Amino acid sequence: MDALKKLEILADAAKYDVSCSSSGSERKSVKGALGNAALPGICHSFAEDGRCISLLKILYTNKCLYDCAYCINRASNPDMQRAEFTPDEVVDLTISFYRRNYIEGLFLSSGVVRSPDYTMEQLLAVVKRLRERERFNGYIHLKGIPGADPKLIEQAGLYVDRMSINIELPTTKSLRLLAPEKNRNEMIAPMQMIKERIVENKSSIVRYKHTPAFVPAGQSTQLIVGATDEVDYKIIKISEALYNRMSLKRVYYSAYVPVGKNAIVSMNHTDALKREHRIYQADWLLRFYGFTADEILTKADPNLDMEMDPKCQWAVRNPHLFPMEVNKVSLLELLRVPGIGNVTARRIMAARRFGPVGFDALVKMGVVMKRAKYFVTCNGKYFGDIDLEPRKLRTLLIEPPKKGANQLKLFDLYPNVFNSGGGHSGLSI
Amino acid sequence: MVYLFDGSFEGALSAVYEMFYAKANPEKDMMCIRTLYQYDIFDQVVECHTSSEYAGKVTASIIETFGEEAFRRIGYAYLSEDEQFGTKLFRALKRAYRLGGNGLENFSDEAIMTLYKCYNAVARESHRMIGFIRFAELDKGIYYSQFEPTYDLLALVVPHFVDRLGDQLWVLHDTKRRKAAFYNKTDVHFSDLDPVEALYYSSREAQYQKMWQAYFEHIAIDERKDKRRHIHMMPKKYWQFLTEKNTK
Repeated sequence: MDALKKLEILADAAKYDVSCSSSGSERKSVKGALGNAALPGICHSFAEDGRCISLLKILYTNKCLYDCAYCINRASNPDMQRAEFTPDEVVDLTISFYRRNYIEGLFLSSGVVRSPDYTMEQLLAVVKRLRERERFNGYIHLKGIPGADPKLIEQAGLYVDRMSINIELPTTKSLRLLAPEKNRNEMIAPMQMIKERIVENKSSIVRYKHTPAFVPAGQSTQLIVGATDEVDYKIIKISEALYNRMSLKRVYYSAYVPVGKNAIVSMNHTDALKREHRIYQADWLLRFYGFTADEILTKADPNLDMEMDPKCQWAVRNPHLFPMEVNKVSLLELLRVPGIGNVTARRIMAARRFGPVGFDALVKMGVVMKRAKYFVTCNGKYFGDIDLEPRKLRTLLIEPPKKGANQLKLFDLYPNVFNSGGGHSGLSI
Repeated sequence: MVYLFDGSFEGALSAVYEMFYAKANPEKDMMCIRTLYQYDIFDQVVECHTSSEYAGKVTASIIETFGEEAFRRIGYAYLSEDEQFGTKLFRALKRAYRLGGNGLENFSDEAIMTLYKCYNAVARESHRMIGFIRFAELDKGIYYSQFEPTYDLLALVVPHFVDRLGDQLWVLHDTKRRKAAFYNKTDVHFSDLDPVEALYYSSREAQYQKMWQAYFEHIAIDERKDKRRHIHMMPKKYWQFLTEKNTK
């Protein structure tokens, strides 16, 4: 099998892995050698599904001993064409693509072939050759193979920028159900080890200048959403714990796409993607907006509203905090206003030093007034023109369905009627 | 009053000097590029000369008052090739000098935000181009890239590639502006260069292009195809020079 054919098969096999980020590492270039890593990350292309292509994302092999029900590469999937690279083939592809500026670096994952140790050894050979033989300083994201000797994972950590071990399913129970050969502990233990090594490494870099960096861009993980019946609250709580306790940089979520026969749950596809999108928004609130999981959702109300982004949901539930005076509140409070993001909040803070910020200026600075107007005042003036009453707000904030999306439901046509709750008064509009 | 300058960055800074000196009115007075200016009988025209002394004074003053980062942003804004750049610069500076210090960060001021938008557009496209630039290996082992950015950002992306592709020979060629940067593993030279008629590629170039195109096609998830988002993230104006969008 030639390298082109292998590439086709093993790119196909890798595409369901969500991560593609190349950010967080500042690997410096070395005179006379190839490459560096850009701290903010760089997208080199965008695939036809609209996702960023930053790294050459491939599997080393899609041959796999395991039979995880959600995975396209499961051992029992008969329609699957199988292939396996050699370490040198991966090295050559990476270097040649990098020199042409197609990619930021390599994202290498793999099915488990022969044994976890054997697989991990192959991955290690690839990254070692890239760094030592080719003197490649570009970005490398490597998957740790659960169940492999921790020494191998640790050794690989010295060559890569980011390491990730997929947690796959939100709970041990789901894991037992869908991936019986995998063991939660085999995922958590190496994650813990990587975390401890990163901390240790950071302090020795301070003490000894030439200590080689260990996983400088941190670790991430991936969760499959929708293959089992966990509620959104549970997922957000897990992510929060991973960020806080494992110091993960990212948790990626992948809407379960039923592949082939054997579909586990039948869910409307657009709904699944929408849910994934909402979970990502909630994840953003955790990481960049100072929210806690318990603010975003509660046990009593455990699922995200599909028609409104999570920040709007939070704001609608907390009308007593609004409207906020944009010229008075702190940065953290500004960040809680729907329609104001990190960039615009910082612009507002900068502009405020020179005098009060007005409504027009907010628009120019990039505030999404469609949402923000209900929640802010500028110099005491309110532009929302309504009382902050949750049900009314919700109606105003619901995102209209996109053209070509699902047909309008009765609910969408008469939101006031169906939302006014209790009594028949709503019908008299 | 219309102040005419030659279109160069130095020229614009010199004209700023003259406008401040003449107490030009930021509401009415304009700065125009001499060759683009359409004569109007009611305009009073002032010819500004490009003077490195004046430009130097303005530069020093901007850096001293607002800092180097602010001056860098003004340089970026110039590269937007916006015809109104001179007027926008004068108006923003006029406002900012009254505020001092961080004056150019007063984003609620319209004149300052307008200039900032020019900067932001160039900064954004520069970041994009760093990803979208594609090299092809020529038969002499030179990596050649042709591109036509909306803004004049060749000089802005060069340092990135010097750092990243430091061990290979390369040429970055802006065919729209007919100029190029040449890198010989130690230094960069800028020079005018017309579009090259025939390029001779290395023997393995076609194979890698084919592999990249195959990768691009296979990495997309069919069930998630989203043409709108695809075009939004990677506008069609860039497709001409993207290897993966030119399959034959």
